[in-house]
Amino acid sequence: MAIFGSDVHRVKADVAVIGGGTAGLNTAIAAAEMGADVLIVDKAHIQRSGAIAGGIDHFFAYLNTGEKWDTRDAYLAYVAKVARGAANMKIHEKVLCDELVPAMERIERMGVSLRQPDGKIMRTQALGQPGPYAINFDGKFLKPKMAMAVKKKHIRVLNRVQVSNLYLHEGEFAGFSGYDVRNGDFYEIEAKAVVIATGNTNRMFKSQTGNPFNLWYCPANTGDLHRAAFDAGVELANVEYIRMTVVPKGFSAPGFNAFFGMGGKFVNGLGMEFMKNYHPMGDKAPRNMMVWGALQEVRAGRGPIYIDVRHLSPKDLAHLFSTLGTDKDTLPEFLTAKGYSREGAMIEMTVSEPMQARPSELCGSGIKIDETCASNVPGIFAAGDASDQMGCLNMCVAGGYAAGKHAARYAATVNYNRPFKSKALADEHKRVFAPLMRKTGIAPGEFENIVRIITTDNFGPYKSEISLTSAIAKLDALDRYRDELKANNLHELMRCHEAMNIQSVAKIVAHAALARKESRFPPYHYRSDHPETNDNDWCGLVVVRRDGAKGVATRFERLPYAA
Amino acid sequence: MPAVIDKGKCNGCELCALYCPLDVIHMEEGMAVVKYPDECWHCGACRQDCAHGAITFQFSPAMLGV
Repeated sequence: MAIFGSDVHRVKADVAVIGGGTAGLNTAIAAAEMGADVLIVDKAHIQRSGAIAGGIDHFFAYLNTGEKWDTRDAYLAYVAKVARGAANMKIHEKVLCDELVPAMERIERMGVSLRQPDGKIMRTQALGQPGPYAINFDGKFLKPKMAMAVKKKHIRVLNRVQVSNLYLHEGEFAGFSGYDVRNGDFYEIEAKAVVIATGNTNRMFKSQTGNPFNLWYCPANTGDLHRAAFDAGVELANVEYIRMTVVPKGFSAPGFNAFFGMGGKFVNGLGMEFMKNYHPMGDKAPRNMMVWGALQEVRAGRGPIYIDVRHLSPKDLAHLFSTLGTDKDTLPEFLTAKGYSREGAMIEMTVSEPMQARPSELCGSGIKIDETCASNVPGIFAAGDASDQMGCLNMCVAGGYAAGKHAARYAATVNYNRPFKSKALADEHKRVFAPLMRKTGIAPGEFENIVRIITTDNFGPYKSEISLTSAIAKLDALDRYRDELKANNLHELMRCHEAMNIQSVAKIVAHAALARKESRFPPYHYRSDHPETNDNDWCGLVVVRRDGAKGVATRFERLPYAA
Repeated sequence: MPAVIDKGKCNGCELCALYCPLDVIHMEEGMAVVKYPDECWHCGACRQDCAHGAITFQFSPAMLGV
């Protein structure tokens, strides 16, 4: 076997961006425009990495068209209502509202129109919105166009490098390590500031067909930097929530917003609409309530669930099928292969796999940021889904850019790259490549499957103090197998590290969920032992941070909302 | 089998192997090979990037059968 890791590269930058998805690329563009020397590090390739690899079909925005729901104030009132207890309104204004118009202009400058072919803006309504905030557009090539914009700015990119750990010097960010998953080179990266934009932890629960890569969100997002940041002392928030949606039976693909935005009806196994029993907005209720409704119908013996699109006009059906393919390239042909006719059908749906991610479209889940996108550790910033306050395309484009500006400003105040210890790097080099050195051992997929069984059995849609405590004990006991993980090649080495990161994040999620003794955004956080939402005591963030070698400390931070 | 590459049409340009977000497609002897078919996300990026129409998708029995 080749000796991996013998080539070690030392790379320096003012601002390093980890994760080259939508948020990360917008961060890099902003930092470069501020004059910083920027480096992007991505586990895949920025041309097609992240959540919108194959396309995206909607962008949420208020447009000040004169409608009463279409203003900044009305939009913020919606955020405060729908994401209450998770969205920090002050941060939301900074990372979305203040950046929204330039974000839309930036997308169009990249060569992607937010308009329909006839030049008009088409908007649909779902997800508890007071009006149609979802601009439908053809974002099939948005990710490659963003990558092109990065290339035009001559921003340096390290593709196929998985970041393994972060290092501090006297409590401030100093750098990070990683390795190339294609050639095994080891990287030591010094930077004055880092922006973490690596999304959430998506392979954490069992999927509907048993294949952990058949997921709604990108299966490459495995909480690598949630874990590394946590280990470095960075605070996380909103991580008690597990996110689910409604997906076609057999294929966990996005499409929810398109189906319901176009007027699809959610019906149960008796052929009856049911959402009004759970939320006054019916099929246009917030996503968590749609999932909750579906789960309750199935639990009551009224499954399976369907989306009925038989009543839609031929024009609307044609738009629906084309937009489904814009968001998920292969979904229309999947529906056809399953035998559904484009003339309209009852399409069987199911509740997707849960994931560690935001409880609402209007916030995030992960690294706790302030109004400048900074974490509690000087020099470490976060953007996009990886932060506790951003999610969705609109916030990743808008807030990603904000994070880049703030990180560049911060980097300009740092006179020299902080040193990081060679002993720590030598130890990390050994740890990173260890699974390749073992002659026998456990395959990463087997380890990951055990994590998924524990999470799914103990803290899926329903959980309690007993189920969570038991899950933590089992996940802790799994630690003994970490030193037995075996990789046969670099691809499997990446999967080994991902498996350990998923396990680590699962523990953090369970600790956070144990701390929140109420239910909020059910079923994203539904405690069978505390089934009510309690705004008096729990309207705010459960903040978690590392406590000693293995512990997780939690604290509560109240969030204020206007009456 | 998810992404399937037609060896008769692949000209070895490497774009699919370069960009695949899940590291599923690799080059072997100058040809693109779906090395980890079980780890495909079905995102369709490879098919969009293939100028020769060499990539199609086949859904697994589990996806179509349930």
